[in-house]
Amino acid sequence: DLLQWPQISKCRSPEMETFSCYWTAGNFYNLTVPRILQLLYKKSNEEDWKECPDYITSGQNSCYFNASYTSVWTPYCVQLASKNEVYDKKCFSVDEIVLPDPPVHLNWTLLNTSQTGIHGDIQVRWDPPPTADVRKGWITLEYELQYKEVNETKWKELKPRLSTMVPLYSLKTARDYEIRIRSRQRTSEKFGEFSEILYVSFSQIGIGCDHCAEEVEFPWFLVVVFGVCGLAVTVISIMLSKQPRLKMLIFPPVPVPKIKGIDPDLLKKGKLDEVNSILACHDNYKTQLYSDDLWVEFIELDIEDPDEKNRASDTDRLLSEEDLKSHGCLGAKDDDSGRASCCEPDIPETDFSASDTCDATSDSDQFKKATEKEEEDLLCLDRQDNDESLPSLANTDPQRRHRNTQSENSHLWAPFGDSVESPRPSVHTQISNQNSLTSTDFYAQVSDITPAGRVVLSPGQKSKLGRAQREDCTEQNFTMDNTYFCEADVKKCIAVTSHEENEPHVQEQSYNEDGYFTTESLTTTVASLGASTAAPPSSETPVADYTSIHIVHSPQGLVLNATALPVPDKEFNVSCGYVSTDQLNKIMP
Amino acid sequence: GLLLVALLVSHMLLTKEGVTSLPICPNGSVNCQLSLEELFDRAVKLSHYIHFLSSEMFNEFDERYAQGRGFIAKAVNSCHTASLTTPEDKEQAQQIHHEDLLNLILGVLRSWNDPLIHLASEVQRIKEAPETILWKAVEIEEQNKRLLEGMEKIVGRVHSGEVENDIYTPWEGLPSLQLADEDSRLFAFYNLLHCLRRDSHKIDNYLKVLKCRLIHDNNC
Repeated sequence: DLLQWPQISKCRSPEMETFSCYWTAGNFYNLTVPRILQLLYKKSNEEDWKECPDYITSGQNSCYFNASYTSVWTPYCVQLASKNEVYDKKCFSVDEIVLPDPPVHLNWTLLNTSQTGIHGDIQVRWDPPPTADVRKGWITLEYELQYKEVNETKWKELKPRLSTMVPLYSLKTARDYEIRIRSRQRTSEKFGEFSEILYVSFSQIGIGCDHCAEEVEFPWFLVVVFGVCGLAVTVISIMLSKQPRLKMLIFPPVPVPKIKGIDPDLLKKGKLDEVNSILACHDNYKTQLYSDDLWVEFIELDIEDPDEKNRASDTDRLLSEEDLKSHGCLGAKDDDSGRASCCEPDIPETDFSASDTCDATSDSDQFKKATEKEEEDLLCLDRQDNDESLPSLANTDPQRRHRNTQSENSHLWAPFGDSVESPRPSVHTQISNQNSLTSTDFYAQVSDITPAGRVVLSPGQKSKLGRAQREDCTEQNFTMDNTYFCEADVKKCIAVTSHEENEPHVQEQSYNEDGYFTTESLTTTVASLGASTAAPPSSETPVADYTSIHIVHSPQGLVLNATALPVPDKEFNVSCGYVSTDQLNKIMP
Repeated sequence: GLLLVALLVSHMLLTKEGVTSLPICPNGSVNCQLSLEELFDRAVKLSHYIHFLSSEMFNEFDERYAQGRGFIAKAVNSCHTASLTTPEDKEQAQQIHHEDLLNLILGVLRSWNDPLIHLASEVQRIKEAPETILWKAVEIEEQNKRLLEGMEKIVGRVHSGEVENDIYTPWEGLPSLQLADEDSRLFAFYNLLHCLRRDSHKIDNYLKVLKCRLIHDNNC
């Protein structure tokens, strides 16, 4: 144990008339020979230390100075000593050590109760401490009241006040309260001890309301619930409202890539003619998606080949008719299909709201859109530049080769076309179309979906692409009524070019199977292509495109099987209006 | 603009209804006579306010400059007003005649007039003196003047005979406030503020005792 010296703990005057000093003896007494502690005091104007006049009145280890020994504003010094040793010393004046006694005679009276009887007001009274002479004004006290409910832990405080009564408002009659008061000299900071606790119980005076113990608290829970419901209702109503303005204001539409001028509803409803014409008018993505180099390689157009129209194939006739129909800028209705835009220099924005629902973030949809865009370009190119030659054609040699090969193939197409299964009548047309790159059209729109999962594209406008193709493979005399310009044609040219020595017939055969490529056929072709050519020129490598339908997202779109062809590093190799997913991903972020 | 006018009008109306504490009595007005009770009320308020400011100022000074310097440990010097024999306990305060007590109060207040003026000016020379101390010194000096005037009025009312103005203690502590040695100078300030706190407490107490005795007949 540490040696604790005797210490003067405090000196206190309760009423500014007397004072007492208290000390602790420490364990010094026990450890050493017991000695007698003395308290000596000295007023400032004196020189001698005097001993404490009263060791008893204030208790043990204390010294009491009665009124005769007390001078209020006189500085005192006291010291705790024993014989020759001084343990502690303190200097003060009495007016500085005033700590009043607690108030006495606490009581309360009921002022009134609320109408419901749940709350009540009371008035608390008390008397100043009896030792403090407040009546003569010798000491001025202020009081601080604290109260709390019986089962609470924290006391509530009121501001210190001079009066000896204070009202307490809005107490709960069902609960019991505790009240305590303490006092201090008005200009001091320190309070005296607390008084005894006063218990307030409304039930004792017969007002306690047990059955109305329910407290009307603010119904936060209800507020939150109703607030959330209201907000939800508002949001739902806004979403469902027909007012586009309000909807746009609250829920601004997220811009998504769309084909300008195309109303997806047209695609759904199957108005191929309109969509055809619309697609034909837009050449937005021509320059983006195609580089002229590609066109040089692949495209050869011969739109006005009359022989094409003489081909006897159901699809051909069908599509040609549709094609004729689709050549109707003049016949364009003034609706949202956007076809009317063909007749105008400005292409108006289509209604994107519908496409909101159509658009999916899947690659397939994006691809589909991109495909449509390409087809638009193709179509527009075809339409706009009917008799013009592609200025960007640079490499004519492979084109000629293509043409030559194509011409050779054209003959082969027909027999193969016959052997095509009946469910694929369009294949003939496809093949024929493909063979005649000169008159290759591009499919702008899906006109039908075969049970086997193949897509029948309706012929659209002849596009630049087709023309380019034609130029590449001019020997074809087929009139390409179909706007669908397929990889077959391109690939034929390519394949023929790159595999001149590799039995182009065989490959053509594989091509000839379908106007539309199935994944298998194309893969075979590709494989063969890949095998035959060690390093096919990037330009000659047939573009891997979607060939057959993988999934039908009716009515929104199609997912077409991508082929396994290696995609060249070139920006974009497009033979048909189809773009492979990989290419699409490369192009589009 | 409109708001200011509205506030002004409302203030005027309120003051006319007597919301403010005491009616204003312009100086020199013969017909306007504040009652003794009102005079004492104002005096007690002023004395309480002065003591409150002095107490705060002393505490701030103690906190700011006196820590660690051992001022308290030094023997508490007597104040310059110690020569005035003021009552030291309740018994003496009750036994003294009220007129004598009033005179004593006046004497103490006059004795503090000079020191307070110099305190207000010298405390500004303490380096890095807090603004609160500076402000309080000036405020105490002003309020002390007002209390002095009020006390003179009370004495004029209460006193039946001649008014003795010779109770006065001169203050010679100015040189100590201007000492070159900072430690000594600060100790001088500490002492002065300590004395000020004590004397303002005395005056406050005496006035309350007088008020209870004269106005409320010892039944506050």
